[in-house]
Amino acid sequence: MARELPYIVAINEAIEFEMARDERVLYFGQNIATPSALEPFMDAFGGDRVRLTPISETAEIGMAVGAALAGLRPVVELYMSEFLLVAMDQVVNEAPRFHAMSGGQVKVPLVLKAGYGFTAGWAGQHTGSIYGMFMGVPGLKIALPSTAADAKGLMATSIRDDNPVCFFYHILLTLEHGEVPEGEYLVPFGVADVRRTGGDVTIVATGWMVDRALAAAERLAADGVEVEVIDPRTLAPLDTATILESVAKTGHLVLVDQATRHGGASAIIAAEVADQGFDSLRGPIKQITALDATIPYSEPMERFVIPDEDKIVAGVHEVLGSAPVAAKA
Amino acid sequence: MSSDQEAHGLDKDRLSWMFKQMVRIREFEERVKNTFEEHPGAIRGHTHLADGAEASIVGSLATLRGGDQVLATYRCHGYPLALGSDANAMMAEIYGKKTGICGGYGGSMHLVDVDRGFLGTSGIVGAGIPHATGAAWAAQIRKQGQVVLCFFGDGASKQGAFAESLNIASLWKLPIVFVMENNSYNVVTRVEQEDANAAAGEPLAIKAKAFSMPGVTIDGGDPIEVHGVVGAAVERARSGEGPTLVESKVYRLSAHGNIIAPPGIPLHYPEHEAIAVFGAPEEYEAALRGDPVPRFRARLIGEGTISAEEADEIAATVRQEMQAAVDFAWESQLPDAAEALNHVYA
Amino acid sequence: MTGKDAEAKARPGVALDAQAALALLATMWRIRVFEERVGVLKRADEVYGLMHLSVGQEGVAAAICSQLDVADSVYSGHRAHGHAIAKGAPLNRIMAELMGRSDGLCRGFGGSMHLVDVEHGLMGATGVVGGNIPLALGSALATRLRGGKEVAVVFFGDGAVQAGHFNESINLASLWGLPVILVCENNGFAEFTPRSAHTNVERVSDVVAPYGLMRETVDGNDVAAVWEAFGRFLELARRGEGPLLLECLTYRLRGHYEGDPTQYREALAATEWQQRDPITRLARHGTAAGWFDAEDLERAEREARTEVEAAVGFARLSPYPDVELLEELVYAGRRKP
Repeated sequence: MARELPYIVAINEAIEFEMARDERVLYFGQNIATPSALEPFMDAFGGDRVRLTPISETAEIGMAVGAALAGLRPVVELYMSEFLLVAMDQVVNEAPRFHAMSGGQVKVPLVLKAGYGFTAGWAGQHTGSIYGMFMGVPGLKIALPSTAADAKGLMATSIRDDNPVCFFYHILLTLEHGEVPEGEYLVPFGVADVRRTGGDVTIVATGWMVDRALAAAERLAADGVEVEVIDPRTLAPLDTATILESVAKTGHLVLVDQATRHGGASAIIAAEVADQGFDSLRGPIKQITALDATIPYSEPMERFVIPDEDKIVAGVHEVLGSAPVAAKA
Repeated sequence: MSSDQEAHGLDKDRLSWMFKQMVRIREFEERVKNTFEEHPGAIRGHTHLADGAEASIVGSLATLRGGDQVLATYRCHGYPLALGSDANAMMAEIYGKKTGICGGYGGSMHLVDVDRGFLGTSGIVGAGIPHATGAAWAAQIRKQGQVVLCFFGDGASKQGAFAESLNIASLWKLPIVFVMENNSYNVVTRVEQEDANAAAGEPLAIKAKAFSMPGVTIDGGDPIEVHGVVGAAVERARSGEGPTLVESKVYRLSAHGNIIAPPGIPLHYPEHEAIAVFGAPEEYEAALRGDPVPRFRARLIGEGTISAEEADEIAATVRQEMQAAVDFAWESQLPDAAEALNHVYA
Repeated sequence: MTGKDAEAKARPGVALDAQAALALLATMWRIRVFEERVGVLKRADEVYGLMHLSVGQEGVAAAICSQLDVADSVYSGHRAHGHAIAKGAPLNRIMAELMGRSDGLCRGFGGSMHLVDVEHGLMGATGVVGGNIPLALGSALATRLRGGKEVAVVFFGDGAVQAGHFNESINLASLWGLPVILVCENNGFAEFTPRSAHTNVERVSDVVAPYGLMRETVDGNDVAAVWEAFGRFLELARRGEGPLLLECLTYRLRGHYEGDPTQYREALAATEWQQRDPITRLARHGTAAGWFDAEDLERAEREARTEVEAAVGFARLSPYPDVELLEELVYAGRRKP
């Protein structure tokens, strides 16, 4: 049975389900949003497995690595993805390295749960969509849910995965409702979701941008342009096969990402398609991303930097060489 | 045998065992060092030796019981040897062979032997401290009386990871003992050049005060003293009273590591920093005179615990063991290149 | 190092007098009224993003910044409005920044958590807990290298003390003897959770004890005490001595951010602290000392209200920044002629 739940509740439901199912799962971090949000977990699973930490990111993530080496499955609440940067060594050069360096003797199953993309006046240090930089870290998996159901299913899969997983949840989506299956629900890693089918152009969108892309597709449909919208759902592993298949059908690719243009998911997907699907392309790949700038505080500048529906519609028209509706009229 | 030793359960067999482990570590490290001449090119990258720290390592590890766990640094050859890991597989790992303890994926800095409680090491200064703290949290949750020993150097105590971890360990009363091997050198920097406490002439164990944790400084060259103090800290941790910081003063008898050079330039161990950098050969010579291995041998013989013949016999057995390890490593096959991607994901 | 400690305490500071006290009162009122007004503006959605207010902590900002020169550097964190006001940043431009306008201190780019006013020595405010501490060490090092008399002051909360970079900074500052004054506003809460959930060590001055720096813990709501202690520290730092740590025990009268439901706060404690309000206390103290009368007090509050209201008016009229500003701000050296 599915019911309507907010995205954030869906994530919590997965953590709760997995904690009840597997006593090796731990949940800890600073505040865990607020102590009142932590209380149900405390009540259900006790202070051994649910703990509040000081503001000590290196120790929090490092301890998760150690607890994982010792056989547990920690979920660390990072609250803001930028706090991963405070402990970059642990995220990039510790957690994903031990399995490989030990020749497979040990594994480091842990989940780094981090909010991102808070483009609502949070200015330069709390708004980053920084997941792309982790795509270059072998051994680290990246989940990026855009719906409440995926949020639940990907969190459950993250916890069951034997590797370190960065689970990036979009802060602007936290209160968005969606249908969420009850009980055990897993969304596999490396399987993209084709959210809308269409034969004219392929849009690959991530996170918060998926809904913007779907809205843009709706508008484009009114102009007679049929857009296929793909949400990769996990960036590592990345389901390039589904993307290549779609591009083989449409011949056009537009990438929509809230992150920077350089060094991000969009650039990596563009490179994969150029490398493996060049023959399918009937025109240049278009990237609709945030501008390469620190996210400004002031609202008009903030809006200017990040992608939106209008920019997506314009981008699709550009790759198709078709004029926007206004110009036609 | 003194009453002090008996009090810590150190009977003749145990003391003899401790001596043997110290000799094994020394011989292993000597063979690693010698490899650069014996088998030039066989060892790639960076190695870090534990000679000088044998008493501290063995005295500490001798306090553990089955199920306890150990995490250490990239200077990691000594611990698994004392924990019972196969010297052949360890040497083969350092040679980058398929038969290595990590299949050639880790090398000298990243030895792991989970079955013996050696959970792993980080090549990044201080990074292993939170790992050990996390393992101690896991032990606390399991409630099986496990204790974690966390080894790191004096340099690591200037890392944020040190402070964050010790604060949490103290706050949560985790079953862990932090053993800081203070060898007075952070690569080529002397500790008083980079540590405010050392510069003020204070022991580094004083840092424990900031975390409301007991801190004690010991002579890491005396395995009995190490055993007594670390043993008490282990018991404290096991009984749920929380962590202790033990500053174990050791002197590393080799340079920080072999030289770092591009491929093609033969690697070797340079002179110790005391001589090469600080022009203080008298300091180094004094350290050699205090070498813990002959010191412990003399003590055991002097106290009648073992005879000189028994000591020599131990040394001869160990020499054979390590010769076999080198032969095994040298003769083993390199891994297949395509195996490189075997362990990207678990 | 207790010797150094004793030395700092024995040295008399400049006692608070009528003129200085009245100036402090005025500054505290400007901060109080400003913060209360921002709370109202936040509910009306006129300011954007997250607002961390310092109502109840005004005494620390006022007593410290008012003794500094313009050339002294101040580093703040996410709760920066009070420090900015006390350091002399114009209310108009702070308010404009909070409304994201082009006349804002940072031209609308930084917002509440990233106030910078180089002209008035407010060198930076970071939104990552404790991230400002090493920066202040850098300022102090620069002063030493230049042979100047300027000091660097960094404000942070007790939550920052558990972050690794705090310990890294303390070791270095102590080892190099940097003329930096670390001001910990210990409000007993790290964001939403009490200090006891973060560490066994109640006093921040005890955390730094092993590093032997000069340190003192004062009642941060007693403005005269903060003034006096900081005055002594400042004199030492001016002579190139340091580092020094001043722990000010204080209390936020509002939540961690505006809109924070503050369920974690014990209502009783809040009532008690309301009585310890630094403004009320200084008013009482100064009245008893004959420094000011009811009319002075009333004027300080009235003038603050007028000024803050003017700042709101100014900010509302200021245009939003042109998006071209963005290109100019990605890299330095691209400012248009």
